[in-house]
Amino acid sequence: MQNKTKNILVTVLFSLFIAFFTVMSIYSGFLNPQKTSEAERRPLAQFPSDLSWEAIKDKTAIDGFEDFVVDQFPFREFFRSIKARFQMNVLGLKENNGLAVEDGYIVKVESTFNDKFVSDSIDILSHIYDQYFKNGKGNAFVSIIPDKNYYFSKDYGYASPDYGKLVADVRAALAGTQYIDLFDSLELEDYYKTDTHWNQPEILGALEKLAIGLGVSDYLSGEYETVTIDGDFHGVYHGQSALNPKPDKISYLTNASIAGTKLYNYGQKLEEVPMYNLDLFDGEDGYNVFLSGAAGNPVMRIVNNKCQNKSTLIVFRDSFGSSILPLLSEAYQTIYVIDIRSIDYNIIPGWNGLYEVIPKRVFEEADVLFLYSTLIFNSNSFKPLAK
Amino acid sequence: MAGQGLALSRHSCSYLDKEEFRVLFSSIPFLYYFLPAVLFLYFLAPFKLKIFSKKTGEPVYFEVKNFILLIASLFFYAYGEPTYSLLMVATTLSSYIHGLLIDKFRGKVWAKVFLCTSVISSLAALGFFKYADFFVSNINGIFGANLNLLRLALPIGISFYTFQTLSYTVDVYRGDAKVQKSFIRLATYVALFPQLIAGPIVRYTTVEEDLSERKHTFENFGTGVTRLIVGLGKKVLIADSFGALARTLMASDEQSVVGYWVYAVAISLQLYFDFSGYSDMAIGMGRMFGFRFLENFNYPFISKSAAEFWRRWHMSLGSWFRDYLYIPLGGNRVSVPRWVLNTLIVWFATGFWHGADWTFIIWGLYFALFLMLEKFFLKKFFDKLPAVFSHIYLLFIVLVSFVIFSGNGMAGAMHDVGALFGAGGLPLFTGETGYYILSYSLVLLVGIVGATPLVKTAVLKIKETSLGGKVLNVLEPLFVLAILVTVTAYFVDGSFSPFLYFRF
Repeated sequence: MQNKTKNILVTVLFSLFIAFFTVMSIYSGFLNPQKTSEAERRPLAQFPSDLSWEAIKDKTAIDGFEDFVVDQFPFREFFRSIKARFQMNVLGLKENNGLAVEDGYIVKVESTFNDKFVSDSIDILSHIYDQYFKNGKGNAFVSIIPDKNYYFSKDYGYASPDYGKLVADVRAALAGTQYIDLFDSLELEDYYKTDTHWNQPEILGALEKLAIGLGVSDYLSGEYETVTIDGDFHGVYHGQSALNPKPDKISYLTNASIAGTKLYNYGQKLEEVPMYNLDLFDGEDGYNVFLSGAAGNPVMRIVNNKCQNKSTLIVFRDSFGSSILPLLSEAYQTIYVIDIRSIDYNIIPGWNGLYEVIPKRVFEEADVLFLYSTLIFNSNSFKPLAK
Repeated sequence: MAGQGLALSRHSCSYLDKEEFRVLFSSIPFLYYFLPAVLFLYFLAPFKLKIFSKKTGEPVYFEVKNFILLIASLFFYAYGEPTYSLLMVATTLSSYIHGLLIDKFRGKVWAKVFLCTSVISSLAALGFFKYADFFVSNINGIFGANLNLLRLALPIGISFYTFQTLSYTVDVYRGDAKVQKSFIRLATYVALFPQLIAGPIVRYTTVEEDLSERKHTFENFGTGVTRLIVGLGKKVLIADSFGALARTLMASDEQSVVGYWVYAVAISLQLYFDFSGYSDMAIGMGRMFGFRFLENFNYPFISKSAAEFWRRWHMSLGSWFRDYLYIPLGGNRVSVPRWVLNTLIVWFATGFWHGADWTFIIWGLYFALFLMLEKFFLKKFFDKLPAVFSHIYLLFIVLVSFVIFSGNGMAGAMHDVGALFGAGGLPLFTGETGYYILSYSLVLLVGIVGATPLVKTAVLKIKETSLGGKVLNVLEPLFVLAILVTVTAYFVDGSFSPFLYFRF
């Protein structure tokens, strides 16, 4: 082939490729815009609504247009997949958009913790402890759930942040609590491959450790039936990785005691909801089956009237708690489950904070457990403290 | 230590953010909206349109293709810089009028007067918009004054188009270029979007003929497309990977001396692939429209001296300062003290052109120092040694120079240079440094090999053989398409890292 033929071929290929995707981009963006990306679990940018001169001058209109064009580009997932494979398989990089993959396990690799996020999170937990429990009659506990990067980095030689320092900082700030160490009771295989969370049937070791720490291990039966939900579970990293990995399955543990335990959404009036809400499996996040996940109320109450242990536990928790608390329900007659990410825990004039939803006497008498994953400490998930 | 590293990293990020330009070549809106629209209109239109004057009835030619390029370029600039578009038009108009006046009064004192007013007005605009706050803050610092900073946003590409318009009026004065009587042609030259914001600094004389007549062939277009796509690949696939490595190393909790040297390599290769990638894109797009711009890079890292490095790095800037500053100052045909002074002036200006910060000035003077040392001592010394020592010497001074260049002010630059030599008790090596070296090993290898002519030489050797030539002719279009698909994938995934040289 002569140079001239080669240049004609380059010209034709380039022109056809650009023309095809220009036309498709106009079609998909302007005539058939998508609202959300299921894979990335986020809304996609739409054509900017404000095209005033002010918006053009301050560049918000142009920024909006560029976001719109990129988000609505045709075959988005196909291109994201090409990028991920090029980055990892051709350039040999260990991460794509911060996600690493080894033996099917997808992990967001963090080499450092955000000092401010950690410090703010600790301050808030410390504030809650001081406000609500410091002078109470119950015992206070804190336990930190390692995210799977902790085990992944050790197993595969990836960079990792200083988990020891994080634990030490939390323990120092919550010096009045007893620390329950879960780090040595878990391993990478106890987590879903495509999701951040731990896999409930694999966390019995952590459950036992937690129950021993809380002094309620005698109430756990240790006997469960494993039920696997039909259908695939695409964890949060499944779509983000753009590598179309093999999906997970969700299984949950149950027994007569758990089945007889009641779970209430703790709003203005109590509403009973299932411990394992299977209707939510096919929704946005399959993990929502545990305590209704993000669809649940930020304050819940688990009532196990047949439990021999009549005491009450208040648990401040994140989504990891959703799957371990059904198992812990065997050991308490009442567990209050509080997710402070979406409620106001501040005590400010005219507002009683958490006392608005749970009576003060409960706080004064119950045991309390702060149960959070390291992911929470390394994010700004909590509302800031009132000034 | 870690905190400082993070601060530096944040500085680098915000620095990149500030340099942002809306319609970057490496973006979906440019590649799939702007460029195809311009190409469609451009190739649909005739080069010239014959119209008849109402007064005389004589035929007049309206250059449609130049007009389309001019309008497209003005839109391109206004899209990213709506506020300062008029400044660019005013600068062009000033050069146009000055060119006409210099030509009209050629040989008379007024020609010199108009040359001076042209140079002064161009430099005044550049000085005001780019350097005003630098001077104000230095006056405040030296004299304890309390003058308010103007806090002007820097017009994108002002350093590039100011130097282009300067070269035009000076060349007209010198008789090296004919005066351009068509404002559309001159404005097309100044505003031509492929080279407007990121260079290279195209001299008027380079495109003088192309502006009035140029060929549009499959050879030009195909070669241009190949060059454009290769440039995109260099920027998006390689330079941005080095940028990510540099940022990661600076944000690391476990910094080390080796980590800082890897940072120096990463930042140097990022600058090289970023800038040479944009030059490739400019040259390629110019070729698609029938223009032939001169090369801007020629494998600078294989140089054996600072002097050679600057004959291979940002060649359009080096030759501009040579022709319009160094030689008018007397060049090297002067006494030694005067030569030293000339060298210091030129390299002060070169550094200052890159940015209104002492870091850039020190960076320029750093090269002046080594140019002088080479002239008086080092060249003789290295000539006696095997060439490998000259290469090591050059790489050493260039890596250190780019660490200064990328520093967060003078204090940050000095900290980073100190860290290269273990200042502050940095450990020699840490596990995290090893992790990043391992993770980026292939990128480092590709970058290092790609910065040498090895691949080009190998391709040329293969092309010399009959079979190899045929195979490469088939593979090249497929290779170009593969890069286009991959860079599109990077754009779609939201990988966006603006060009580093826009504000210079």
